Amino acid sequence: MTSSFSLGQVLDLKPIAREIRPKAPQSTQEQYHPTLWQCTVVAATLKILLLPAYKSTDFEVHRNWLAITHSLPPWEWYYERTSEWTLDYPPYFAAFEWLLSQLAALIDSDMVDTNNLNYSSWPTIAFQRASVIVSELLLFAALYFFVASTPFGARKQSHAVALSILLSPGFLIIDHIHFQYNSMMYGILIFSIALARTDSGLLSSGILFAVLLCFKHIYLYLAPAYFVYLLRAYCLSRNNVFRPHILNCIKLGVSVLAVFGAAFGPFAYWGQLDQLMSRLFPFSRGLCHAYWAPNMWAIYSFVDRLLILVAPYLKLSIDPGALHSVTRGLVGDTSFAVLPNISPKLCFSLTLAFHIQALTTLWLKPTWETFVGALTLCGYASFLFGWHVHEKAVLLIIIPFSLIALKDRSYLASFRPLAVAGYISLFPLLFTAQEYPIKTAYTIGWLILFLYVFDRLAPAPSRQRVFLLDRFALLYNAISVPLIIYCSLVHQVLFRDKYEFLPLMFTSTYCAVGVITSWIGFMVCYLSS
Amino acid sequence: MSAASTPHKPRKKKRQLVRSNTLTDIAKVQPGSDRIDPEFNLVSFLLPARGKSQWISVPLILIFTGLFRWCVGIWGYSGQGIPPMHGDFEAQRHWMEITQHTPPSMWYFYDLPYWGLDYPPLTAYHSWICGKIGTLINPEWFALYSSRGYESQSLKVYMRATVIVSEYLVYVAALIIFIRHYSRSQGLGTTASNIALVAILMQPATMLIDHGHFQYNTVMLGFVIASLSSIYAGRPLWSCIYFVAALGFKQMALYYAPAVFAYLLGSCLSPRLRIGRLLAIAIITIVAFAALLAPLLAGTLYDLYRGFDLPYRPPPPFLAQRRITLDGKTPVGAILLQLSQMVHRIFPFARGVFEDKVANFWCALNTVFKLQKIETLIALPRLSAYMTFMSILPGMVILLGCPKPQLLPYAFASSAFGFFLFSFQVHEKSILLPVLPMTLLLGSSKGLSKEYRAWIGFANALAVWTMFPLLRRDGLAIPYTVLTALWTWLLGLPIFSVSCYYDPDLPNVPGRPLAPDELRTPTKIFHWWSYILMLFWHLLSAFAKPPDNKPDLWIVVNACFGCLGFGICYLWCTWKLILESGLLDDYFEYIERRVDAALNEADKRVTKYLGEEETITEEKEDGSADSASVVATPSSGEKHSKKKGKGRKR
Repeated sequence: MTSSFSLGQVLDLKPIAREIRPKAPQSTQEQYHPTLWQCTVVAATLKILLLPAYKSTDFEVHRNWLAITHSLPPWEWYYERTSEWTLDYPPYFAAFEWLLSQLAALIDSDMVDTNNLNYSSWPTIAFQRASVIVSELLLFAALYFFVASTPFGARKQSHAVALSILLSPGFLIIDHIHFQYNSMMYGILIFSIALARTDSGLLSSGILFAVLLCFKHIYLYLAPAYFVYLLRAYCLSRNNVFRPHILNCIKLGVSVLAVFGAAFGPFAYWGQLDQLMSRLFPFSRGLCHAYWAPNMWAIYSFVDRLLILVAPYLKLSIDPGALHSVTRGLVGDTSFAVLPNISPKLCFSLTLAFHIQALTTLWLKPTWETFVGALTLCGYASFLFGWHVHEKAVLLIIIPFSLIALKDRSYLASFRPLAVAGYISLFPLLFTAQEYPIKTAYTIGWLILFLYVFDRLAPAPSRQRVFLLDRFALLYNAISVPLIIYCSLVHQVLFRDKYEFLPLMFTSTYCAVGVITSWIGFMVCYLSS
Repeated sequence: MSAASTPHKPRKKKRQLVRSNTLTDIAKVQPGSDRIDPEFNLVSFLLPARGKSQWISVPLILIFTGLFRWCVGIWGYSGQGIPPMHGDFEAQRHWMEITQHTPPSMWYFYDLPYWGLDYPPLTAYHSWICGKIGTLINPEWFALYSSRGYESQSLKVYMRATVIVSEYLVYVAALIIFIRHYSRSQGLGTTASNIALVAILMQPATMLIDHGHFQYNTVMLGFVIASLSSIYAGRPLWSCIYFVAALGFKQMALYYAPAVFAYLLGSCLSPRLRIGRLLAIAIITIVAFAALLAPLLAGTLYDLYRGFDLPYRPPPPFLAQRRITLDGKTPVGAILLQLSQMVHRIFPFARGVFEDKVANFWCALNTVFKLQKIETLIALPRLSAYMTFMSILPGMVILLGCPKPQLLPYAFASSAFGFFLFSFQVHEKSILLPVLPMTLLLGSSKGLSKEYRAWIGFANALAVWTMFPLLRRDGLAIPYTVLTALWTWLLGLPIFSVSCYYDPDLPNVPGRPLAPDELRTPTKIFHWWSYILMLFWHLLSAFAKPPDNKPDLWIVVNACFGCLGFGICYLWCTWKLILESGLLDDYFEYIERRVDAALNEADKRVTKYLGEEETITEEKEDGSADSASVVATPSSGEKHSKKKGKGRKR
């Protein structure tokens, strides 16, 4: 015996602790690294550091809503108009603001004063930003549930997808800098979609989606897919369309009505539904938003601009009224110089047509994956052809698409341009020099990381693959770099403050091309599967 | 990619487990399964990158660590909105202003009371370049005189950008190359070296001071790392050049100078005398210094030639005291005046022994024993010089006798700690210097072991904690909290994890032989109490009001405890340096043999005694004792080192 001779051995003490401590159970479930929680923590630290960053008028909008819900009774919520930022979200969101305002009043009572316009003390900023960070935990929970609900074979893929959504630059830019509560809403949406995986979860999925609609009505764009899927898979027999499950119909109908009743009932009782609806759906807006969202109409506007230049040579007639507004595309009202104007009816019917096409497939093949595909296509159709679409609505496509992007390589091929275009299209939201490196570095980092990871994880497709636009996609992704550089730097050096609309026009046209390409690619996948 | 050429095969490769010798430090591999449990959180983030291209992982690391840096930058800087003097931000801006608008001969003389230039020339050149580019963007930022105290969002963004760009060009580039050379020489795997890279880049103290408080420390530190890296790459002459650059950027690089000097000299003396190498090093160093000063002196001569009236008033005090007058009208006189003024500005011996409260020896001593009393016995500058010399002596002697490159980080840390603790005129920000080489040790072969992780984490946590009073003044309390918490969480340190201090797989019995990288109990107790004390201090300083007659009480407590902690870190680095040098190995072997003999004697006696008592269990007993002795052999040396190192071990 050498120097290891120790007291324990002399006295022949058996190590006590080893017997008492049970061996850690050898779990069969493989752990993927980094875990969702670890990423949440790191992302949260970055988001806390962003507290003093630029914030848009949406910050004041939400502060005003805190003030409205705190200082007024519910029956005056939708009438209050001291500030120009009136309450225009559905009642559950108002209730959420009311809940927050209870806390807010304790922290800084000036924050919840309706007359205190543009109030942004440090406690106000910290409180509102913190409320976004905390409410994002719902997204974490939803993604955790989503991964756990995935069958074992695809869990690695779904873990990667969950991380990509959790760390999405969309949420960083829109929620944590620009200021909104999207991550929480998408948390509810993902919960609802994940619940729809099993037959037993369909009812709760429907209820949750109804709740989501009462939080933010933009999700109405996705409602047709929900309606068809729940009708087909829950209310009717999967095998036989003509055999309805009456009990299921009643359960679903009653609970959805209850959700809506709880939200809108009180306002109906006070006779305020008309006022509420006029707040929720302001139909007086133009075709394109201030900055063109990257959809069909952006390309249409771009072509119109080009035609103005070549019109004299082609002997086309130009509408002089539309020509004068050089900053067209920046102001809300859009009229075209050469091409015919677009009516809301046309937008609506185009959207509807593409909805129906997606929903027919879902009706014929009501599986979960088709359902998510239909959600994505509904998002696409509404985004591409909708009237007055916000660029933020691109998340309505990206998030559902992410969930099935790793189904196989052909899905991934159409996801790639969407991710690139969708996130770059959000850049004009932040125009301050300080936030420029944040949005660019984060988005580029995210794209490199997740497109690389997805590329390694996506399985080969089971059917013959159509190589439609692969080379084009690579070229497309590469163009984004000079575009970002031009928009941020070169344009300012060349023109100083003139032609401000040029970078915006280039960005939205570029992004529109990407979104439309990915839409075509995805349609091919969806319809051929 | 086309349909014809590639069949649609999944690109998934066969899972390969590359087991570098450090994998056991960063993860637990369950025997018989593929399951890998990371030891700390940072490992989780980099494990998936195993076996993947460095061309993906390194850029991603740089992007995301850069994001954190920039996000710290959107918070306050030193002296924001505090006229008339503002702070370090205004000082740096002012230097850009004066280098733009005054000729080089004026730089060290221009309006000294308002942030006169007091860094070496490379800083001046750097300011000149930053100022030139900035003036192109907006001339108001650096307009002469009228821009004093100028504050705007765009200026802030520009200045922050200069920090981050300078840092990426020098510090980050040097660090990546350093980690590559260093980890290769230490036999470290790619994943482990990436982990070390992230941990070093995310050091909270450096990020908060450079990107929050506002300074360009990382440029100087980057040159130091480049100098180290050149030594590992076997290019000592480049190492001299980089080190001169570091000195030329900030005189604080002198903290490392004894180690560099001793190493370079030692490498010329042993294993055999190499005069050629010595001469080459000397000449290159002189040439580098000459090149460093050339623009400044050439500018001076040019101004003299132009007949520019040189403002050599007042003359540098140390010349005035010795009644030396130089004629600024002659070239030689002008150059000497310029140089002496530069030295006077860079080394302000006229100031006190410490400014503000610093966690060093003098400040701590001053709280218990007023320094004025010592002043009557011996001049403080001289005393501090002696003590500094004593503290850096062990490192220098070892490097001279045994110039091995792998000792350099220890020697750098030991030397810088010596300077920080005992030298004259120390700023609290100088703690970055000793902490950096200590953190670089994360890239060594033992760097991610529990012992090193615990000590490096402790030094970093303590360093950033001692700077808290400064950071709070700059409005950086929240970034401080967030970044420190993030770093400790990533590295699995208290208060988030006990992984460095406790291993549930080891039996919890007294007298168990130590695992190879386990800390000794006194160390564990010291670390834990330090963390608890730091947290408690935060509570105190946040909620408790100090007594009226001692308004600075919390800050003094902070400095005194910081001094104690840094003193112990200094001892750890020095002790590790001695152990790693192998100079005392013979001595340890001798002791070991003596102790072994004594133990054998005792052993025989006990077995004899047991043999008489129970003959049946004897065989079992022997078997278990044998296996235990096999396990314990590698750590047997540690037992004895305890007597020397007091709670420290190899």
